[in-house]
Amino acid sequence: MIPAVLDALKRAADAGDACRQRSERTTITFESGRLKSAGVVEESGLNVRVVKAGKVGVAGTTAADRPPAEVIARALASAELGEPLALEFPGARAYPSVATESPRAASASAQILTDLGRELVERLARPDAQINVTVEREVEETAVGNTAGAAGSYRATGVSVSADVTRVTDNDVLMVYDYFVGTDLPEAKDLDAIVASIQGRLERALTVTSSPGGPLPVVFTPMGLSALLLPLEEALSGKTLVQGISPLQGRTGEPVFAEGLSIVDDPTIPGRPGSYPFDDEGVAAARLPLIERGVPRAFAHDLETAARLGKGQRSTGHGHRGVFGKPRLAYSNLIVGPGPVGRSPWSLGGGLLDGIAEGLVVEDLIGVGQGNVIGGAFSHPVALAYRIEQGEITGRVKDAAVAGNVYDLLKRTAGWGNDGRWVGARWSASLRLDGVSVAGR
Amino acid sequence: MRDRLDAALRASRADYTEIRVERTWASSVSFRGRRLETATASEDVGGFVRVLSRGRGWGVAAFTSLDHLPAMLDRARELSQAIVLDEPIRLAEVAPVTGEALLDLDGDVRGVSLAEKTRLIEAYNGEMLAVGGGITDTVANYHDEVTEYWFVNSEGTALHEIRPEVTLSGTALARKNGTIEKGLESIGLRKGWKSAQNKGAGFRQAAERAAQLLQAPSVRGGTYPVILDPEMAGVFIHEAFGHLSEADFVYENPQAREMMTLGRRFGRAVLTVGDNGAAPGLRGTMPYDDEGVPTQDTALIREGVLVGRLHSRETAARMGERPTGNARAISFRHPPIVRMTNTYIANGQGTFADLIKDIKLGVYACSAFGGQTMLESFSFTAAYGHMIRDGHVAELVKDVVLAGNLFQTLDRIERIAGDFQWNQIGGGCGKGGQSPLPVTEGAPHVRIEAALVGGEVG
Repeated sequence: MIPAVLDALKRAADAGDACRQRSERTTITFESGRLKSAGVVEESGLNVRVVKAGKVGVAGTTAADRPPAEVIARALASAELGEPLALEFPGARAYPSVATESPRAASASAQILTDLGRELVERLARPDAQINVTVEREVEETAVGNTAGAAGSYRATGVSVSADVTRVTDNDVLMVYDYFVGTDLPEAKDLDAIVASIQGRLERALTVTSSPGGPLPVVFTPMGLSALLLPLEEALSGKTLVQGISPLQGRTGEPVFAEGLSIVDDPTIPGRPGSYPFDDEGVAAARLPLIERGVPRAFAHDLETAARLGKGQRSTGHGHRGVFGKPRLAYSNLIVGPGPVGRSPWSLGGGLLDGIAEGLVVEDLIGVGQGNVIGGAFSHPVALAYRIEQGEITGRVKDAAVAGNVYDLLKRTAGWGNDGRWVGARWSASLRLDGVSVAGR
Repeated sequence: MRDRLDAALRASRADYTEIRVERTWASSVSFRGRRLETATASEDVGGFVRVLSRGRGWGVAAFTSLDHLPAMLDRARELSQAIVLDEPIRLAEVAPVTGEALLDLDGDVRGVSLAEKTRLIEAYNGEMLAVGGGITDTVANYHDEVTEYWFVNSEGTALHEIRPEVTLSGTALARKNGTIEKGLESIGLRKGWKSAQNKGAGFRQAAERAAQLLQAPSVRGGTYPVILDPEMAGVFIHEAFGHLSEADFVYENPQAREMMTLGRRFGRAVLTVGDNGAAPGLRGTMPYDDEGVPTQDTALIREGVLVGRLHSRETAARMGERPTGNARAISFRHPPIVRMTNTYIANGQGTFADLIKDIKLGVYACSAFGGQTMLESFSFTAAYGHMIRDGHVAELVKDVVLAGNLFQTLDRIERIAGDFQWNQIGGGCGKGGQSPLPVTEGAPHVRIEAALVGGEVG
């Protein structure tokens, strides 16, 4: 498929590349504790990019009943309008070997997936709550090729198991969720971890207490950290850099954050769904330290941001493609903090509560990503948070909001917890920050 | 196509079978600053089948290769057979319908070149850039779609529709001394090329506002009487209340069902709320939903009292209520789930000036940047606001974030003006991994007795 597209491309354009993705996803859904539906999605699509007279165009299609010439013609029409851009397509090379596929997951029957879900439903069952569980398994083939000679294909599997528990009483709605993602089916310990974290958080949430107020120590759990990391993820993106709006522009090599903060993007970690041997533009995958011990070191790039930045910048292998539209920059797996160092049993706050006389544990915030993310300021009501008094959790806090600026708060981290884990494609432990503004109502 | 679908239905061995096929032509043009980011056209084709047999669960299959239709019907049936239920899934009865709804394409976008579309959005982008005054960056997007749609089911329903859609959006960023402010314009229409013309003024205003916000102070955090403009009020009712009225939230959850008992008082007598999938010409409008059920105007809150909810055939049967035509899927990749269409707060009385004349100190929250609800808690960010002082709109303020508890806030809606409007904005609604679904919201100006406004970050 790809060679035929590239042949047609070479005749019609000066250069180009193509990415074909085929996937099959099986989904088993339990609603309110009952197995409800089983589904499969089979998808196949082709994304083509051309360079003609120095200008770049892109087009995509899922219409398998149409010849490739049609999508190439659309890409050429797109290139006529495009701005000149000196994309440097990677040439032929050997790619690293990265474990992206589990044969066991690929061949698992719908029955095996259903049994996994049912086990979670049974273990989480409680009379005062509703349980939804979704089990998903995806098998995907990615093939990339370009006119400079790069070519590769690989298969990947992805499994996700998610559970949410909702408890409604009078006007109080409490929802606690957790999920597993991996390339393989979850092991017993992975299901144990979901059960422990959901039950642990739910039990501690049954008592509702008032919120403290003022600048306070706040422990952000691995799930609660998203609001703090989002501004950094934007700031470290080559796209933001090229736009000239990254607060970290020109600050590589300087100590901007506390020593405890390191962020590495690593697409080569075996067995993670975010991993790949090469990105969707055919660039070899490699580990990329973004922040080392508080010092920004690099920005993530795809072919376009590298070309726009110039100065000899190469793609760091972060080009991602869907069927439609042009490649976009995205991270693979982000390791935040000191990095995976084994895993302790689940505990709320990851052992960071000691010595906190008054504070909060934040699991989930409302409205993350709204507003002015890039500047680093955040202000969010809590969706799920707990009060800390004298080193102990004393109940769930409902009507509270936390606010601060990531660039101030991360200058002085007060330590990472012992509860490091994957949350989707991000690994981190809980993080204690002091002086976070907490407003009660 | 009809023949293919009928043959597939005849071959299906399930008790209930439905098939959807969609072919979508789309194009997108995006500018960032003066630079064209993308101009691209795409074609997306695929089908969806869903089957049900007595005592079994739903078997679902979606696919991009239409040749696979017969095989995917078999897969769906196998999956359905594997799910044995003690309580069977039932579907509320609806009369089979056959129909062609070929909406007016209003200047078929498929006949307009990518170059013309690029010139249009480039001009709107130019309106923002021309404002100057600290505008350092802009984003302007044009997107259009025409979808040809077929739906058939084994009860005799057969629909064929053509639906157009155009969305335009612009973001202007103004920057000064490390402060960044943004202004947003968003237009979403179930229309075509003709209706996308002459929209430059809104883009210019968005940029002007971003520049003005650079000079504006943050609102001082606290509890105020708050006036929501029709856009904020629309987003509020959609996010904070609309999702709770979707029956799939309550139908298998006894506690949630109790919370959403019909007849329960949710607000004062001024408050009437509904969802109208049949309102003419809006983004959420469709003659039938994705189960082939006619859309309708469904009352949700009448004079403060909960009187209805939004249903699919399954949730309606389960709750012993009537289907409302609210089962919608974002594309052939997804099953239909209970969704809103065009959700509104009904018109009240009087003018905006009447609404504010006795407010000594309050906040006027305008134009929504976004909102999120976690069931009964919500947070909404206004694009900008004004203080209200001594009955008049006073200075521009920024960082207007409303947060609170849904039940309290609904109950504090004390007055509603008579200046209803539908907000024809882009974007859309997300639920269950299906986003963005085209919806519309409508409302007049709404006065909340007291609401928490978060402002300055401490």
